[in-house]
Amino acid sequence: MHERLSFYVKRESPLHQLNPLTKLTLIFGLILPAFLVPFYWTPHLLLVLVVFPLAFLGKVQGEYFNAATRLILPAAGFLFVMQALFIPGGEVVLARVWFLTLTQESLLYAFANAVRIFVMISSFTLFMLTTHPSELMSDLTRRGLPGQFAYVIIATLQIIPQMQAKANTIIAAQRSRGLDTESSFSRRIRALVPLVGPLVFGSLVEVEERAIAIEARGFTSRLPKTSLREISDRPLDKGLRWLLLAMMLASLLSRIWFS
Amino acid sequence: MPVVRLQQVTYYYPLTETPALQDINLEIEEGEFIAVIGPNGAGKSTLCYTLAGFIPHFYKGELQGTVEVDGRSTQDSNLSDWVLRVGLVFQNPFNQISGAKYTVFEEVAFGLENRGVPRNEMIQRVEEVLEMTGIADLAARSPYSLSGGQQQRVALASILVMQPKVLVLDEPTSQMDPIGTREVFGVIRKMAQKGMTVVMAEHKMEWIAQFADRVIALWEGKIFLEGKPQQVLTDERLAEKGFGVSRYTTTARLALSRGLWQAERPLPVTLEEAVSGFAAIRNGQSKGKP
Ligand SMILES: Nc1ncnc2c1ncn2[C@@H]1O[C@H](COP(=O)(O)OP(=O)(O)OP(=O)(O)O)[C@@H](O)[C@H]1O
Ligand SMILES: [Mg+2]
Repeated sequence: MHERLSFYVKRESPLHQLNPLTKLTLIFGLILPAFLVPFYWTPHLLLVLVVFPLAFLGKVQGEYFNAATRLILPAAGFLFVMQALFIPGGEVVLARVWFLTLTQESLLYAFANAVRIFVMISSFTLFMLTTHPSELMSDLTRRGLPGQFAYVIIATLQIIPQMQAKANTIIAAQRSRGLDTESSFSRRIRALVPLVGPLVFGSLVEVEERAIAIEARGFTSRLPKTSLREISDRPLDKGLRWLLLAMMLASLLSRIWFS
Repeated sequence: MPVVRLQQVTYYYPLTETPALQDINLEIEEGEFIAVIGPNGAGKSTLCYTLAGFIPHFYKGELQGTVEVDGRSTQDSNLSDWVLRVGLVFQNPFNQISGAKYTVFEEVAFGLENRGVPRNEMIQRVEEVLEMTGIADLAARSPYSLSGGQQQRVALASILVMQPKVLVLDEPTSQMDPIGTREVFGVIRKMAQKGMTVVMAEHKMEWIAQFADRVIALWEGKIFLEGKPQQVLTDERLAEKGFGVSRYTTTARLALSRGLWQAERPLPVTLEEAVSGFAAIRNGQSKGKP
């Protein structure tokens, strides 16, 4: 159960080979134009012409479309309905339900926004599917991100499934002593209180030992660190990053220019 | 010349009145395997932390006397250099996992990354250590997915890979079943045979009797007894002071009081010794009878 601690899917693909920073830039190279460029169909075109093909390029289309239909689509769909119904204004009234009016303008606006959100979550999903967290952190540490900072991020990413497993153990232990975790909602909330203590205090005691353990391995040494993972940063990566940066700047300018 | 030398070491944890260690004098030769025994609260962990430099660098409080390894004292070194001289492995294997790595291989390499060891050398050293600790087949697994015994060997490998002069272990097998214990002891013995100096707090008497060169019995922060395992572990004062005593020793002592153990024969600590002792009695009796 603990084997899978990240979303990362190990494959050989051009997207996997990109430097993590390049992929990080790519995320923002997609999000910024989607939100900023004044041309209405920008997010839609980005989604169909860039995001979807990227999923195939990264050979993670199966995982991606699975996440897209089960997670991203409902989120974007919810946003679409809310905005279409509740954004005021617009002249071309399409329908009236009780006090709500659906206008053509609000419909279009909501549609574009939903697709923007779709693009945004999709970019992050593709990033996580094709980038190993250790690789990202090693690369960022090499570029000057403080080691402690990287440690906190990675450890937090890993601690969630651990806490879950521990909570399950405690629940099982408490239940075997007659704790009610299966009846009505409010009773269950009250029943959770005795679980918090062991979970939190157990963790605090462990923090001291954990601190000693990583210290015993020279974590705070001031010598320059090296990395087991070899992270490629090809000229292609550098070129791509500049290009993406230029595109972000262009979308920003287009926004200022045309409005 | 001894590698480890403690002179008149006394230590108070912050805000405490009674010393956790008191007047400890200790010299350890290179390649020696020392076992530290003692009841709960005797100061075993405190002694381990003192050797490993976590006292005074991590736990503040008041440290008197000198703690020297290889002619340098803890007080004059910083902790991240000290960990290269003295490696520390402790009880709970789960808490020794860095939490920042996804595979056993990366986990073991963590200490070398922190020390800036070049990548090629790093890979070579990690592979060697994985082989030595018998966990090469786990290299690609997540450290969290392992059993306690396997995790403890990962923790041990993560320290050994840094090639410390002295290896300090604080009850490394206390949460382990007999198989896990044997695995861990096996690795440590191998290291000791290669000339590494080992100090191990442990309460499994039978194992100590087989592996240690010298036993130090701590009691209320002081060295209460010191000497060869057989001699210290069978001392009759141990039980009344709350030390654990091997059941074979207890059995043989009772047998002795009933005349069922040869008076000149030393008391046993291990099953092996007990069996040969009792066998000797029986042979003696059968010889005596016509
Ligand atoms: N962090 C601390 N702060 C204050 N006192 C401490 C601290 N840790 C240990 N002590 C005290 O120091 C004494 C020695 O404790 P130590 O943990 O070294 O014993 P031990 O021999 O390792 O015992 P155990 O068998 O339980 O592991 C005890 O009286 C203990 O209460
Ligand atoms: Mg202890």
